[in-house]
Amino acid sequence: MRAQEVLTALQEKLGERLRAPEVRTEAIGHKRTLERELVWAEIDRDDLLEAVRTLRELGPLHISIISGVDAGDRIELIYHFAVGYGTPDGEVMVNFRLSVPKNDPVVPSICAVLPGALTTEREKIEFLGVQFSGIPDARKLFLPDELEVHPWRKDEPKLSDYVRYTVAWEAKKDEKGEAGA
Amino acid sequence: MKKAKLEPEGMAGEKRAGKTCPACFEVPIGPIHPALKEGIRFTFWVEGERIRAVDIRPGFMHRGIEFMGTKRNLVQLIYLAERICGICSVSHPLALVQAVEQAAGIEVPPRAQYIRVIIGELERIHSHLLWAGVAAHELGFDTLLHYVWKVREPVLDLLEDVTGNRINYAIPIYGGVRRDIPPEKYPKLKDALRYYRSLVDDFVSFFLRDPSIEARTRGVGPLSPEEADSLCAVGPTARASGLRKDLRQDWPYFAYPDLEVKALTPEDMGLEVRGDVYDRIVVRLLEVVQSIELIERCLEEMPEGEITSFPKVAALMAHLKKAEGEGIGRHEAPRGEVIHYIRLEADREAPVVWKVKAPTYSNFMPWFPMFEDQEIADIPIVAASIDPCICCMERVHIVRGDREEVIWKEELLRLSWEKTKRVASRVAPHASLGRKG
Repeated sequence: MRAQEVLTALQEKLGERLRAPEVRTEAIGHKRTLERELVWAEIDRDDLLEAVRTLRELGPLHISIISGVDAGDRIELIYHFAVGYGTPDGEVMVNFRLSVPKNDPVVPSICAVLPGALTTEREKIEFLGVQFSGIPDARKLFLPDELEVHPWRKDEPKLSDYVRYTVAWEAKKDEKGEAGA
Repeated sequence: MKKAKLEPEGMAGEKRAGKTCPACFEVPIGPIHPALKEGIRFTFWVEGERIRAVDIRPGFMHRGIEFMGTKRNLVQLIYLAERICGICSVSHPLALVQAVEQAAGIEVPPRAQYIRVIIGELERIHSHLLWAGVAAHELGFDTLLHYVWKVREPVLDLLEDVTGNRINYAIPIYGGVRRDIPPEKYPKLKDALRYYRSLVDDFVSFFLRDPSIEARTRGVGPLSPEEADSLCAVGPTARASGLRKDLRQDWPYFAYPDLEVKALTPEDMGLEVRGDVYDRIVVRLLEVVQSIELIERCLEEMPEGEITSFPKVAALMAHLKKAEGEGIGRHEAPRGEVIHYIRLEADREAPVVWKVKAPTYSNFMPWFPMFEDQEIADIPIVAASIDPCICCMERVHIVRGDREEVIWKEELLRLSWEKTKRVASRVAPHASLGRKG
């Protein structure tokens, strides 16, 4: 699989809706040099499922992770896919950048196309406060059920209280001579 | 091969247990793990001895490392990344340095790329041997556990000799590695590799030709290729199900393009792929041999030259401070794919975003189909078969209807060991299990 193949397939399906498509290349290897390719593109949340279906049709598909960041009034998510595992030098990384407003942070779940994405979607719900429509299981995964804050959000008023509480609690343990932090 | 159960609602165990098996008993296990020394909670819905549904809850050891990473400069970040995992401790720094080198446009000298491969492969040998010992213990073969862990020591000694440390080697740095492997050390490395080569036949006869181990692992915890693919399994777990999925082959990095690595499945040993625990043992043993070969080739083909493009850390820090961009680093750790995503901004020492994914994160979903219709006594070996890395305590809590009782880890292990004895007396009546009681 080559990056251009992936990009052409995506552009055929999505046309102009695939914004800022880019192939980044890296030379690797010493005796046998290879061009390693990464596809980067921006898409809207409404086009996400179609884009993932296109990738699934292209070849064996793996989702590495969804990374995310609080970008002010929006939340930015990056879907890191790998298409075409199983053939030597045949894998292309495809990264979709997606941004949703904080007052409506709903993204379609891709679990129906790729069930293995459930873990990373559940993690984004609890850490960034994103919601995934159609997700089969929206329960918390890593954080305690009673925790109300989303730790990666920068506008969480309660988050600093949690940090202060934890720091004070650890300091108290030290004073008492118990095992400290 | 059992039918793939991939319907999305099938993942929430409670829901399915209520639907398919209203008379099931709920068996929570953990956060104290029955088999490994790390915290995770399994809830099984069992009908008699059979597991009908499962729910898994990690998170008891969440340390907020990614958040901590955004408060540290990039050199400090390597030390933090090294401490994400205590067993595959070099895997995370190896992925991190690739991500930062991509983001900051840093070149790496060829010799450093070879040294990174050597350390990564030595780690694979020690990690797979550690796993083989754990697996033997879960099945009740403690003699084998002690044997495997004894022969694992030389590779740790070797790592200490080459890097200065047994576990956190502190070798990768942006732009290269921190220590060279001088030619005087090659004979010692080659001796150790020869030693491990001489043990391969023993491993094959102890693990793969033993009728009791075969009876306890054949058909146990199966994962079909379709399930492994759609649930995004990684590492030996995926390869044991017949997927030729290996980053060193599909997405070569470091010196791997020169080495032309091939992803190994049980077919490479002439076996039919069944995707069960036995196949996961096969794949890991094959990979130990593969790692030995890779290191030998690296020692022969390693070019002379610099080991880092920034001999002075101050110059490196200055370069990193100006860097702006984003990068992705991936590494095939002993357990599967590790990926780091990083975003840097100029004049900021700490990364703006740092996302880390460890292999067990991807192998979490494949656990669900593996546990389906298995026996309670198989829980420890199925849980251990993906070589999970979570973080632990020591008891098991069983709730049967409104009756509660506590089963300690020893009890669960006893169930597993008794099953081995039962099975062993059937398949190999004269073989001794190597333990009493």
